[in-house]
Amino acid sequence: MSNKSTMEFQSNKDFFSRVNLFVQTHTALMAVIIAAILFAATIIINPRSLNLVAIGNIVLLTVILSIPAAGQTLVLIGGGMDFGVGAVMSATAILTTYTMRGENGHFLPVLLISIAIGVVVGFVNGFCSVKIGLPAMIVTMAIANIVTRLQYILTQGVLSGTASPLLASTVKFKIGGVIPHVAVYALIIWPLVFYILNKSRFGKQLYLVGNNPTAAKLTGIKVDKVRIISYIFSGVLAAFAGIIGAAYMSTARCQIFDGYAYDSLIATIIGGTTFAGGSGSYAGSIAGSLVMVLLSNLLTSLNLASPIRNVLNAVILVLLLMLYNRGKAVRQ
Amino acid sequence: MLEMRGIHKRFGAVVALNDASLSVNEGEILALAGSNGSGKSTMIKVLAGLVAPNSGKIFFDGKEVAIHSGTDSVKEGIATAFQDLSLIPTMSVQDNILLGCEPKKNGFVDEKKARKIVLELLEKFHIDCDPDDYVQTLMPSTQSMLEVAKAVYRKPKILLLDEVTASLHYDEIETLFGIMRELKAEGVSMIYVTHRMNEIFQICDTITIMRSSNTVISGKVSDFSLDDIVYYMTGARPEHSDTVAEKAEDFADRELVVDVKDLAIAPKVKDISMKAYKGEIVGIGGLEGQGQSEVIRAILGAVKPEGGSIDYLGKKTKFKAPADGVKAGIGFISGERNVEAMFPIRPISENIFAGNSAKNRMFKFLTKKEVRKFSQDAVDKYNIKIGKLKDPASSLSGGNQQKLVVARWIAMKPNLLLLDDPTKGVDIHSRQEIHDIIRECAANGMTVIISASDTEELMNISERIYVFYEGKVAAMLAGPEKTQERLVSAMMGINENKKEELAE
Repeated sequence: MSNKSTMEFQSNKDFFSRVNLFVQTHTALMAVIIAAILFAATIIINPRSLNLVAIGNIVLLTVILSIPAAGQTLVLIGGGMDFGVGAVMSATAILTTYTMRGENGHFLPVLLISIAIGVVVGFVNGFCSVKIGLPAMIVTMAIANIVTRLQYILTQGVLSGTASPLLASTVKFKIGGVIPHVAVYALIIWPLVFYILNKSRFGKQLYLVGNNPTAAKLTGIKVDKVRIISYIFSGVLAAFAGIIGAAYMSTARCQIFDGYAYDSLIATIIGGTTFAGGSGSYAGSIAGSLVMVLLSNLLTSLNLASPIRNVLNAVILVLLLMLYNRGKAVRQ
Repeated sequence: MLEMRGIHKRFGAVVALNDASLSVNEGEILALAGSNGSGKSTMIKVLAGLVAPNSGKIFFDGKEVAIHSGTDSVKEGIATAFQDLSLIPTMSVQDNILLGCEPKKNGFVDEKKARKIVLELLEKFHIDCDPDDYVQTLMPSTQSMLEVAKAVYRKPKILLLDEVTASLHYDEIETLFGIMRELKAEGVSMIYVTHRMNEIFQICDTITIMRSSNTVISGKVSDFSLDDIVYYMTGARPEHSDTVAEKAEDFADRELVVDVKDLAIAPKVKDISMKAYKGEIVGIGGLEGQGQSEVIRAILGAVKPEGGSIDYLGKKTKFKAPADGVKAGIGFISGERNVEAMFPIRPISENIFAGNSAKNRMFKFLTKKEVRKFSQDAVDKYNIKIGKLKDPASSLSGGNQQKLVVARWIAMKPNLLLLDDPTKGVDIHSRQEIHDIIRECAANGMTVIISASDTEELMNISERIYVFYEGKVAAMLAGPEKTQERLVSAMMGINENKKEELAE
């Protein structure tokens, strides 16, 4: 088959098809290449952006985005979709600042309650979309809306409290002035997700379920269970990301991280995971997160008005997604 | 009036039609007969414009016509009632019947006239439903009648009926035959495909018999006896005997693995009882859709039986999902590999490992080496021709894909292996290899239940054969009684038909 596809590759002189083919067979690598191009462009436009503080910030934001993107990756591979990660992040961020009120020593209860929130929201999302069979996009958005409204009920929309100094320092402090401490979280989360996806039976089952649920069921896989667990992972990972987000922002208002729902989804798609399910990798999603951060970084360095920046950002993302989803080029 | 000459059709390596022909005159009902996979449905599809033949000619009133699409077919005055219904489940009865030929007034649909037409049709076909009912809410038999009504509404010159009586009740068939006779008097020609032999004698004037993609013989129905038809369909003379029934079994010394008692699953399975002993290869025979798939799936736990019971290793099963069956040591190999077995975009290694990954604890550490070794062993042992283990499974040929699925389960060493028409569309060489693997496993103590549409395959591989007909066991063939002839007559339900005739 590899011979066949090379033949087809050569016979196809159309430049765009060739680019397309490359993109579709090397998705994770593509995300890295796009990231490199974006970074190079930023430096050319504004050479001053090549400094340690800026690079440290890029690392930090990429790590934060890569956590909800991990959950999104799991859910998408299993054939679902989770629009609720942003709302969960916002909720646990608020929980963190409210509970800590700028004092050390509340980390464990915050962590446990946050995880509980993640489990509950993830389970409800999974149960409604998998067992009841409602469309994942609608259900996760609706549940996210409930989570958001609860934030307002809890806080009355008022800002209150800050993350504890210790927690904040784990994010902001930089080793040697460059590598932010947040990298430590990445060292925990990234291998964990990698293990789940590639080194456990659950990971294997998840890919099979996403590719062909009927066959998976007849092969003896508990399809519903696997899918619901993927939503629970997504909820828990988002909950954890919310705590780190609170540490980064110090204070948290309602809906502060809602944008992460879309950002994590797009980062995951850019990283090569497909809406159809059954394929994708977490390495790709991390690279995709880097692309998202670098793109917004580039547009910031252009000194444009914020609305125009947002429009440009969206247009570029649409173009990227078109490049990725132009159908399967190779096989019949 | 209509003539098809020298039709050839290939699907990849599979030859569906090879120099097939038929002809039908005005006001004539032609029976198109043949066993599973003989090509009769493909002939219908060629006429309906769903399948484009590789070569061959179609003549209409002596003039050659080209049918490239469904629209061409309709233009020539052909209407088709399909076996797998062409109705749209989420539309109303009225919209379905009129779809594409609504009565119009000033460019809009004439609702009054439309309602009148539909009510008349429903009355004529004795269909008991409201024109506004959604099709998906109707009984399968009502849907089949609607399918015919829809075709008749198009006032065709030629009406194609592809196994429409399969799910009909006795009185509905009578109604249908009445309408067919009326249409015949009006000069409409019909091509009628059925598995039920007695229907051919009841309603058809002429008959064309197909066997393995070829037209074998054509002629007047009155010139054929039942035995003749079966002979031309299968190449074997049916053998009549009243002893084709379950005889006392001599398996006392063998462990009973599966014991199915009075199983019923609507709509196809009515009353099935069968047994399988340790190390035995039990065949399930029958025409397509007599309940074979449902029974096999019920044993696995994928389908919930409505009546009766299934004992596995002496205990009544309470499987809620296939996962429970797999856990209890049951493996399942489906012939519908694209839908039910393959994970096309996943690597070959993961495809082979799939059954294994469903077992054990979910988050236990799993090394790449373990997966690779498991799959490499299977590839070597069962001689599967692959590129690399990490290539997607879709890169394999059909025969090798099926060998992969077989290897997936055999490597798990199941206690009981269920196979549902496992060699469908598989080349002869791979088929032989799969048979060898199954025989070897049975010799080592694995119990095998296999259904197959190919009678020869069934004769070759199984020790005993249960023949299903209309959701019941028509015969159990073993030992000297296991002959191609008996198998064929049981498949056609001939014994039953004889009884019916006596009753009349």
